[in-house]
Amino acid sequence: MSTGMHGVSFRQVSKAYGAVTALRPLDLEIRPGEFLTLLGPSGSGKTTLLNIAAGFLDPDGGQVLIGSRDVTVLPPRARNVGMVFQNYALFPHLSVFENVAYGLRVRRVADTELRARVDMALALVQLGEFGKRAINQLSGGQQQRVALARAMVIEPDLLLMDEPLGALDRQLRKHVQLEIRRLHNEKPRTTIYVTHDQEEALVMSDRVAIMRNGRIEQIGTPLELYDRPRNAYIASFLGESNLLPVQVSDVRGGLAGFRGEGCEGGWSLPDDDDLLRPGPALLLARPEAIRPAAEDAPGLEAVVEETVHLGELVATRLRLGTGQMVWMRRMNAPPHALGQRIRIMWDPARARLLPEEKSP
Amino acid sequence: MSGRYQRRSILGEIAGALVLAFLVMPIFAVVPASVNSASFIKIPPEAYSVRWYGQFFGDASWVSALANSAEVAVLATVFSVVIGTSAALGIERLPSALRSIAVGLVLSPLIVPVIMISISLYYVTRSIGLYGTPVGLALSHSLLCLPFVVLNVGVSLKRLDPNLVRAAEGLGAGPWRVFRTVTFPAIVPGLVGGATFAFVTSFDEVVISIFIAGYGAKTLPVKLWEQIRVEFTPVAAVASTVILGLTMVLFVLGRRVTMKKAAAAGTEGAWR
Repeated sequence: MSTGMHGVSFRQVSKAYGAVTALRPLDLEIRPGEFLTLLGPSGSGKTTLLNIAAGFLDPDGGQVLIGSRDVTVLPPRARNVGMVFQNYALFPHLSVFENVAYGLRVRRVADTELRARVDMALALVQLGEFGKRAINQLSGGQQQRVALARAMVIEPDLLLMDEPLGALDRQLRKHVQLEIRRLHNEKPRTTIYVTHDQEEALVMSDRVAIMRNGRIEQIGTPLELYDRPRNAYIASFLGESNLLPVQVSDVRGGLAGFRGEGCEGGWSLPDDDDLLRPGPALLLARPEAIRPAAEDAPGLEAVVEETVHLGELVATRLRLGTGQMVWMRRMNAPPHALGQRIRIMWDPARARLLPEEKSP
Repeated sequence: MSGRYQRRSILGEIAGALVLAFLVMPIFAVVPASVNSASFIKIPPEAYSVRWYGQFFGDASWVSALANSAEVAVLATVFSVVIGTSAALGIERLPSALRSIAVGLVLSPLIVPVIMISISLYYVTRSIGLYGTPVGLALSHSLLCLPFVVLNVGVSLKRLDPNLVRAAEGLGAGPWRVFRTVTFPAIVPGLVGGATFAFVTSFDEVVISIFIAGYGAKTLPVKLWEQIRVEFTPVAAVASTVILGLTMVLFVLGRRVTMKKAAAAGTEGAWR
């Protein structure tokens, strides 16, 4: 049985609602057993894509494949897909046990096997003792775990989750995040997870696809996206970022020369970068890539505006000569006094030049 | 501050009680009239007796009228629940422009003067052989009962989370199973509410009934109307009390079921 180990392919999938384009023709390959997160603001098309995968929406064009099976025109019930909804969507008149058993009863699983599988699924989400409870006797976090068990017990070829933690409070959200990741590690199954919460995406995913305006802006592991964002939108969507406006004077031989207010330098382009052109651009330096400049080295003048202690980390807000605010984050560093003038520089190895773009 | 609020609320309660009394008292006047021992109607009665009840239940024409009423009301309820529920399910799926037209059509029997409906039904039932039959009368009553079923079930359907249907479909359920296991349990409160209204509407309907009941389906309200034109005996008050009592019992029972189901379904009743 190769359950849960099918890849998913979207080929040139598109969707419009009247005059509003929800998805531009889009290609996406999800590997067997991969946990992929669609991350983006509302209206970016991530939920549309999820509903097309589930069969709740028909695409205007393109194909959806689960494994090698073309499911584009199949109704949801013929796809063997498990879905977890943001509002749980548990059947209110059925017990916890019967909610989880629903998909197995549809599949006419024999009674003893059904009982065993439901019990196992409930134990997996740590609700072994809750089978007889009514749904409205459970807390939000427990309900979401029942929804998870209900979706997983049918051994779906593909597991879909639509902002499943959106209705939970922050503390619980973190807990269930790790729980979902643990379940995935124990038994990997191909999963598409939709969220607008970057932290969630980073904690749980094998890969993240960042969506905007009905297209995928960039796809990669959380680390790839954080270290090598393709543009300023991605950079500011994932993590905190300082973006300094600069002028790129020339791009030649894999090297870009640039000049900014009080700084200049060269940057060697990575192989996959074909976006940078001479002209205005943005220099990305994460807060942890900023440090005080050495005595005799070049640096930017800055005034300390605010210091925040986060345990061993000290975050410092600095105002540059241009008026722009910049965050610097350092471990175990002596804090600067408010109003102090210092000179700062970025670690050239951890900075990036990005094509200029107005982030929405 | 709170004292002033209290006083105002007491005044409000008194006013409310008076309005209620104004609405309800005339209806309940038939109850003391029915236990009057005299052979004419007098309120309050000088002496009490249940002899008119004996006469009511001893008279075959009254009892058969009561039985006819019950039969017609049960049939009308079944017809309107089946047709009305199907209609509500269909209407829910219409695009919004068509939906308001469809709802308007379903509600139209409540707006068109009943006398007009009665006259046309008189012709129609005569020409298709349903005149004077319980089925014909029940079908006619269904016209007036349908709006209640469609509205009540419609409210329940609106409260049904579309994700529940999707969840069931995603778990592999076909349309019939989705209806049986998800939609139907969710609309039971609306269905019971609509059915209660339907039964009561048919049970005390008089205008249409006068036109098409004939001899074969003479209902209690028709018999009552005929009786009162001849002579106003306390038996008429008994008949009225029977109708009143049955109606009230049904409403209380219907409400009970509705609230219970609604509580079990975790939603508010469609009908409170």
